[in-house]
Amino acid sequence: MACYINGAGMISPQRTYDNEAFLTDIASYDRNVLTCLLPNFKDYIHPFQLRRLSRMLCMGLAAATICLREAGIETPDAVIAATGYGFQEDMAKFLTEMLEQDEQQLTPSYFMQSTYNALAGLIALSVKCLGYNTTYAGKGFAFETALQDAMMLLREQEAQHILAGSFDEASPVQFREYARLGYFKKETISNLQLFDCQTPGTIQGEGVAFFTLSAVSAPHTWCRLKGIRTIHKPVDYRELSEALTTFLARHGLTPGAIDVVVNGASGDVIRDRWNTALLQDAFPNAAEVRFKHLCGEYATATSFALWLGAMILMRQAIPDAVQARPVHPCRKVKTVLICNHFLGKHYAFLLLDREANGFSCP
Amino acid sequence: MSRRVFITGYGVITAIGNNAEENCTSLIHRRCGFGKLDFLETVHRDRLFACEVKLSDDALCRLAGVSIGAGYTRTTLLGLVAAKEAIAAAGLSDADVQHAGLISATTAGGIRELERHFYDLQDPGKKGAFVAYLDTADPGEHTERLAEYFHIKKCLGTVSNACSSAANAIILGERLVAHGEIDCVICGGAEALSKVTINGFNALMILDREHCKPFDENRNGLNLGEGAAYIVLESEGSFQRSGRRAIAELAGYANVNEAFHQTASSPQGTGALEAMKRTLAKAGMDTADIDYINAHGTATENNDLSEGLAIQRLFGDRTPPFSSTKPYTGHTTSAAGSVEAAFCLMAFQQGCLFPNINFQQPMKELDIQPLTEVTHPVRLRNILSNSFGFGGSAASLLFAKC
Repeated sequence: MACYINGAGMISPQRTYDNEAFLTDIASYDRNVLTCLLPNFKDYIHPFQLRRLSRMLCMGLAAATICLREAGIETPDAVIAATGYGFQEDMAKFLTEMLEQDEQQLTPSYFMQSTYNALAGLIALSVKCLGYNTTYAGKGFAFETALQDAMMLLREQEAQHILAGSFDEASPVQFREYARLGYFKKETISNLQLFDCQTPGTIQGEGVAFFTLSAVSAPHTWCRLKGIRTIHKPVDYRELSEALTTFLARHGLTPGAIDVVVNGASGDVIRDRWNTALLQDAFPNAAEVRFKHLCGEYATATSFALWLGAMILMRQAIPDAVQARPVHPCRKVKTVLICNHFLGKHYAFLLLDREANGFSCP
Repeated sequence: MSRRVFITGYGVITAIGNNAEENCTSLIHRRCGFGKLDFLETVHRDRLFACEVKLSDDALCRLAGVSIGAGYTRTTLLGLVAAKEAIAAAGLSDADVQHAGLISATTAGGIRELERHFYDLQDPGKKGAFVAYLDTADPGEHTERLAEYFHIKKCLGTVSNACSSAANAIILGERLVAHGEIDCVICGGAEALSKVTINGFNALMILDREHCKPFDENRNGLNLGEGAAYIVLESEGSFQRSGRRAIAELAGYANVNEAFHQTASSPQGTGALEAMKRTLAKAGMDTADIDYINAHGTATENNDLSEGLAIQRLFGDRTPPFSSTKPYTGHTTSAAGSVEAAFCLMAFQQGCLFPNINFQQPMKELDIQPLTEVTHPVRLRNILSNSFGFGGSAASLLFAKC
């Protein structure tokens, strides 16, 4: 059973929400934290709802709406959401209020809005989706689990159109903990220099993305999601590289068949090492693109990679802002491999492709 | 192409016991875990009772066999204790475990440790033993620590779907095995009590200060609990290869959303009804095939009305015995689905059904009443277990005795 991406909605630190311009006007950030550029929520959310929802819930509902409109679907058959850390801002508000007020006179709204499945529930309520609904939460693999679940649902013919996505926010609570753990850079840099500084640590980012995954293709199909493989804390580099080779072989591909590799390097000279080694010279015909200077690092950043890879396949164009190693400009892009890592612990491989009919060189 | 999926072992720790045997004894002897909080430091400890596992974090470390001070959150420790028991009960070898998947559910995760050390963790200059809890508050943390302990690498997932989370973890595990993605998967949930959880539910005004009374006319809210439970799901080939036996088959399941309200269930119980109906359909069974229902039965005004009406609508005057075991364990929220799955498996093994403690007065909206005594039914083949949660989430599981 094929799994087609028929629409996407991406709210990120770049202007990605309208799916019009493709990373032409790049936003720069100079404090190691990248936060989302927001659409006009009024275009997507009823004013009555807008007043009551947190920023994250607004972003989530807007991204879901953009995605469904793009795919031409009113009500999906299932909603699957994923997050690494959930609604940290609201959770921190409830927690600090609780600590400061000595557990007295608390209002439940921050508690309710910070329950991990609040977004998937809200979307179901908004689009009247009575079907399958779940939320995965957990550091580096939540979005990958959501995609695997969606692909199984399509195979089970339990659903024709699935709305699956992710959300994570750049919260100060997380920033301070990550900084102490050495996950973020000590020096302050511009996001656009992320790959030049060659120092340990990365920069904080965030993003909300939704995709319509469907069993059937449409004229507006972006691409096909062929497969996913994750590996948690590989013992050594060999275990990781073998996992990638097996993954490609399982899909009947050799490294030469890959046209674009989306490299999830985070600009962290230590934790990028294996990812860099994995891609070095291994894909002779592939262009290499990088993206974490545009969105920062976050637990569900694979969703930005998926949006980028799918967009490259649909547009048959690679924006300058993501080019790390260009190839012959006239080569058609048929197969995209995403290799993401999160903090050097969670590795994920995703394969996307697009059937080669009707493409022409620009 | 879909493979059948069986349960070969389970493990459970709750306020009524540190392992399956202790839980079972308590269930049979009507011993409940409801009482004063001894280990959670909250201003409400003398007024808002709950069902606490009566072991300190250090004692839990010893029980789980891990070092004290290594940053294991209470949720992780509860999870480790139950998962180790499940693995041993299923008779999995170390190699079996390494090739298995792990799908675990939680909502609280390491919130308990975050709230205890919040200001210290946020102060870069502060040093101390608390640093072991840096970045341990998120739900995925406990899954990763468990996976590291058992050397599981390939298939990890964390479900956080409010109070139906563990049921959804079991559903995902079932599907991974059914699809042939994996042969064996350990599924369940873990949840430690925290001040955030207690104060959140308290702010929602759904906590009963007295011992909860599911399906009773005078029910007045839920009691919170903590605990963990895991079940081992395997394909037929997987356990038969090594001559092991299954306890039950996971014959059906459903996950639906009723898209009614952010935190409340619809009064008619449309989500609950749909989840049970689809579960029966998935298993190819009829209502007459069900011999017992382990209800979600939180004892909130809202849940018991909607769930009771849904059961009544679906089963009518042929409603099988049903009970909520939450007066025993409290509502273990994201672990409840797997804790109650373990109780269903115990029911098969013991040939008995566990009562709905504290039931006195029937609800005026219902013609059906829960089971109030331990009973040994003549026939106990199929059990339905319900889990519902915030966000409109409704899940059911159907276990068929092997």
